[in-house]
Amino acid sequence: MSKILTQIVTQRGYLYLLKKLAAFMVLFILFDFIIGSFFRYLYFRQTSGWEFRTKYSVEDTRADILIFGASRAQQQYNPIFFEERLHQTCYNVGRDGQPIFYYYGILNGVLRRYSPKMIFLDIENGVFNSEQSSYDRIGVLLPFYKTHAEMRQVIELKSPYEKMKLQSSIYPFNSLLFKIAVGNTKFNKNRNEDIKGYIPLSGELHEPIRTVSFLNQHVLDTNKINVYRSFINDCIKHHIKLYIVCSPYYMKTIGTDTSISIAKKIAHENNVDFIDYSKDELFLTNSTLFDDTVHVNVAGARIFSNKLIDNILVKE
Amino acid sequence: MIFTSIPFFLFFISFAFLYYIFPLRFRWVWILASSLFFYMYGNPYSIIIIASIIFVTWFCALRMEKGPSEKVTPYFLFAIIINIALLVFFKYANFFTSTVFDLTNIVNTQVFHAGAPYSNPFILNVIAPLGLSYVTFQAIGYLIEIKRGNHKAEGNIGYLSTFLLFFPKIIAGPVERAHHILPQLKQYKPFNYDNISKGLKLIIWGLFKKLVIADRLSIYVDAVLDNAGHHSGTSISIAVIFYVFQMYADFSGYTDMALGISKVLGFDLLQNFNRPLLAKSITEFWRKWHISLSTWFADYFYTPIAISKRDWGIWSVVYAFFITFITLGFWHGANWTFVVFGALQGFILTIEFFTRKARKNMRKKIPPLLNNIIGTIFTVGYFALSLIFFRASSVKDSLIIIRRIFTIKGPVYIENPTIILFSLLGIFFLALIELKREYFDTLFNISTNRHWFIRNCYYCFLLLAILIAGVFDGGEFIYFQF
Repeated sequence: MSKILTQIVTQRGYLYLLKKLAAFMVLFILFDFIIGSFFRYLYFRQTSGWEFRTKYSVEDTRADILIFGASRAQQQYNPIFFEERLHQTCYNVGRDGQPIFYYYGILNGVLRRYSPKMIFLDIENGVFNSEQSSYDRIGVLLPFYKTHAEMRQVIELKSPYEKMKLQSSIYPFNSLLFKIAVGNTKFNKNRNEDIKGYIPLSGELHEPIRTVSFLNQHVLDTNKINVYRSFINDCIKHHIKLYIVCSPYYMKTIGTDTSISIAKKIAHENNVDFIDYSKDELFLTNSTLFDDTVHVNVAGARIFSNKLIDNILVKE
Repeated sequence: MIFTSIPFFLFFISFAFLYYIFPLRFRWVWILASSLFFYMYGNPYSIIIIASIIFVTWFCALRMEKGPSEKVTPYFLFAIIINIALLVFFKYANFFTSTVFDLTNIVNTQVFHAGAPYSNPFILNVIAPLGLSYVTFQAIGYLIEIKRGNHKAEGNIGYLSTFLLFFPKIIAGPVERAHHILPQLKQYKPFNYDNISKGLKLIIWGLFKKLVIADRLSIYVDAVLDNAGHHSGTSISIAVIFYVFQMYADFSGYTDMALGISKVLGFDLLQNFNRPLLAKSITEFWRKWHISLSTWFADYFYTPIAISKRDWGIWSVVYAFFITFITLGFWHGANWTFVVFGALQGFILTIEFFTRKARKNMRKKIPPLLNNIIGTIFTVGYFALSLIFFRASSVKDSLIIIRRIFTIKGPVYIENPTIILFSLLGIFFLALIELKREYFDTLFNISTNRHWFIRNCYYCFLLLAILIAGVFDGGEFIYFQF
């Protein structure tokens, strides 16, 4: 075999090709490193925008209370009420459209620095459903791969080849060019988009309540269920008071969502409070508290946040 | 295994390395083995269908050549029928039974079961093997050439299998000709630096077109056209124009990669695109778009039809246009939308055929630049309109989309400005490259610059652009489904 290989590399053209490829690779790696480092620099000095909030959640917040979840966390839990009534600092680390992998990635980043006193984890219908897009969305955590070893386990779930792709310095910032650029300007800051991570919704829903059936079974993702378990275990290990919450919906349901049932069961197994507002009459009978059927508006967020705090104060 | 995936690149690198280790006369065996592996990677059982096609084609072609002359036609017809029957069964059986059932259902519903829903009980649970249309067309082309006496039947089934299964082209073409590939399989192909260099450059360019342009555009296109009922005419118009560029970048990107992969191995495949979006008429467009398929149809479909109806005079051309393009449209898939797409091409080609002299006279009166601009806008516009049928799931949906374009006013849908910005940058870059190649080809050339550094910086730029703006979670190539 070694004889054949020697023959090949000494043949005319092979060595020339190897030299040219090596030179090209050096050039490519150099450019990749320079541009990637520049993107990294810009990413971590953002002062506003979605990427900034993720970065702030992982690297900066020291809030006593953290709120985790997707859009239903980000747009429904107003930290101001939590701070005023519980006398502790609060930050909403929820991010629209993100699956449970994201919450767990952020939690790992936070736990490396400190242990919050209280965490609210918002769980929604279908949270454990199997969807490829959930893995694609782990992409927003890629910038942390290099510097946050504790988040790598989650990030590597994105695809079997993620580790290989992450050898590039640019790849973690794929598709973020314009977002990072805007995040370095005052554009978003001037818009006052968020209040400690909370983004209020101003719309008002005016439509009769719909009925949604959960009788059809969805394929569940065991990775998501395992990550949910890990989230609970890590909170318990770090002595964090964890509340798992299913926030209000403006819909009647036939049957129960399988994901919610599983989430409830696992919470109970671990003696974690699971607070369910999905069938709360106050919200089911008042469409004007909603922006759409799954998100309360600013008025709804005020009522919901306070209702949740009342519940916590009773429990405490 | 799609060309843009990491498993494919791992496969290709190891394949190409071993390819050049193999003794020259056995390289085709290595190509065949690798093509089989490539094809069977996702669904190993579909090879049975393709193997049947290969065997029947090989056997009948040999019998046509070596058997008595009166047996030529029966063997030819048998092979053609088997090829077409398999294609029709896997690709069109459900379409035909559903169409018949829908028609009878209308009658039954009216007469016996007013309002009662029906479902087609004859639906078959079959999935067409990947690349079936391409393999079938190449096999049919091979048989026709032997029947016409233009080509010798291949005695070695291994060579014929390698030609039909050659992995760079099996899934989505180009639709190759036996006389183009078989001699290359038997040629002495030493290691050639230039071939590898040209091949790798084509692969990078194809990858760029797919990941940076096509898949980026598909985000907006899918968001709007999949929910056209919720979008304004302006948004739909933008999505429809984007779809033209998406389709072009996707399909030509795939083709560039197929050509590049073949080039690395020392093979030349047929060109499939020649800057079609700069064509000045639909007639010219079809000479530049999916060339290997349109020339296949021209040679084996259009010309025989036009000749057989030559008594009709000028109408034989019109007849041949319509039959050819309706079949070409239908080749894309079992849906009436593709038939309408083909008919629209036939219609405009007929118009252009009858007005060719008038248009030529008119062109003389218009400055060439203006003439080019008007021609290109018309061509892209008409193609975009016909692509609405190509993309929609039904003719009814297509008509709704067209109606909304002209009747529903409203704001432009921009959920994520980044997508629009990257999309526009991608289109701008593609247009720049195409215009440069079409009109200023001799001007400063970056990709083939004599300075190593400039040349390589360009290809580095393409790779870096893929990392910066490429869509890594995008889907398959559009033409894989055909």
